[in-house]
Amino acid sequence: MKFQAKNILGVAALIGFNLTAIADELPDRQQALPSVAKQAEHLYIESAALADIPAGEFGDKVRLGYQLFVNTQQLRDKHVGNELNCVNCHLNAGNKANASPLWGAYFAYPAYRKKNDKVNSFEERLQGCFTYSMNGKAPESGSKELVALSAYSYWLGMSGLMLQHNVAGPVPELSDSELVKGAKRDDFILPEAISSKMDQNALAQLPGRGYPAVPKAEQAYSPERGAKVYQAHCQSCHGKDGQGQMIADVAALPPLWGPQSYNWGAGMHRVGTAADFIYENMPLGKSVQLTPQQAWDVSAYINSQERPQDPRFKGQVTDTQKQYHQHDGYYGKTISGKVLGSASSANFPKK
Amino acid sequence: MMNKMITAVIFVSSALSIQVSASVPDTSPKELQQTVPAAAQVCLSCHGAQGQGIDLAGPKLAGLSSAYMMQQIKLFQSGSRQNPLMQPMSMTVQGDNIKVVADYFASQSVDKIDLHYRGDKVVIADPAEKIAYQGDWSRDLPACFSCHGPSGVGAEQFPRLAGQQASYLKTQLEAWQSGTRKGDADNMMGNVASKLTAAEIDQLAQYFASLK
Repeated sequence: MKFQAKNILGVAALIGFNLTAIADELPDRQQALPSVAKQAEHLYIESAALADIPAGEFGDKVRLGYQLFVNTQQLRDKHVGNELNCVNCHLNAGNKANASPLWGAYFAYPAYRKKNDKVNSFEERLQGCFTYSMNGKAPESGSKELVALSAYSYWLGMSGLMLQHNVAGPVPELSDSELVKGAKRDDFILPEAISSKMDQNALAQLPGRGYPAVPKAEQAYSPERGAKVYQAHCQSCHGKDGQGQMIADVAALPPLWGPQSYNWGAGMHRVGTAADFIYENMPLGKSVQLTPQQAWDVSAYINSQERPQDPRFKGQVTDTQKQYHQHDGYYGKTISGKVLGSASSANFPKK
Repeated sequence: MMNKMITAVIFVSSALSIQVSASVPDTSPKELQQTVPAAAQVCLSCHGAQGQGIDLAGPKLAGLSSAYMMQQIKLFQSGSRQNPLMQPMSMTVQGDNIKVVADYFASQSVDKIDLHYRGDKVVIADPAEKIAYQGDWSRDLPACFSCHGPSGVGAEQFPRLAGQQASYLKTQLEAWQSGTRKGDADNMMGNVASKLTAAEIDQLAQYFASLK
């Protein structure tokens, strides 16, 4: 039954239905991005070097995936509606442990997501990134872009596992239709040296997956205190107004709120998710370590600013809030006399 | 103290006066006096009349933002940036003149260069270019271009690296390492520089200098 439902959705996407429209009809409890406990560094898989991506058609897809990932602005106005690039939140081109690495996600899909109440393939998860984090319009199922991003994610993960388990030879090539599914499926073929040591669940919980949970803070998070943290530690790069820094027409430093940032449906708008990311990964290169309290507070400050509308909005902020925002976010809440979400900017605006 | 500084300034100005005329052959000193703000005259002997830089004497200022240069003058004055020439020289520019000088050099043009973006190349053989575009996250070293932008052209508080003198870039990375240059937020640049080897500093300095 599940398989059939998936097929119907796949067909719908192929004939031009907007997946977001289908997701609209489904309950959403906005499950937070799963995080796993932080583990000793030597356990993290290490992908092969980019120079080891093989020549040929399969390698070309992997390389294109890398290029789209670090320069997602190539897809501006086609699939991207803000100034962000995937690499802004997934550091080291999606290859950094504890910065939501692609290799962690690839081996965790297909997976059930509360966000749309169904089992999502890896490409469906990627489509979510385009709709929400990139405030854009997702590439179609099976498109060149989704195949490339899937191929790159697969290659990072599989090459890392092969190195970790001393499996020689090239990364096995997969067809496009296999690539976009993700690796958490019974018919996914793994070298015996790996499958004998790690089952599907172990692979879906690779150390370094997601962002590790920031420790609890002593006080409830506060945007007011967060403003001070922002001024002291964030604004020299992300700007007084949170709009990042444009250099040679690209946002070298990404905007954190406003029309050019992620929208109200993106996982990063959740105070906890952004606090996890910030505590572990910011400031870039980590010259200082923020306290858990600072991470929570500054996340609250950043995420209590206006940003592009939740794409599931149908005209009433209260309705969208009730249906999709029963969690640690500021959508629908009143800050400085204004209801957040009531003055949100457009979804997928052209540059 | 002040006398010592003034002596140093006079010494520096006179020692380098020969280079001034050599660096601006098409412009007479009289014309310079008319086109360059009075407060910036003191800078020309080392940085050139158009802020083009004079190798070994002073780095290129054209291509840097006014906000960045104002901040640097203040850091020299406070001692956060230590340099035996620039500390006394910076003291000669005070008050509103700091902005006048910074605006003058920020308004000087630089040659357009071909911009290269992250991802243009997947495999990068040159070790400096690789650090510049991809960093080395095995030691938490971010890519230079994540702050200095495509081809290191910089903007606002992030200085332009493209086309800067190799000797200057090298001494700056060393100064960040040793702590004789400070003053950014959270010591971000000191932290980055501390992870670089001496060989990498040489390679990066040469690489960025070649981007013109």
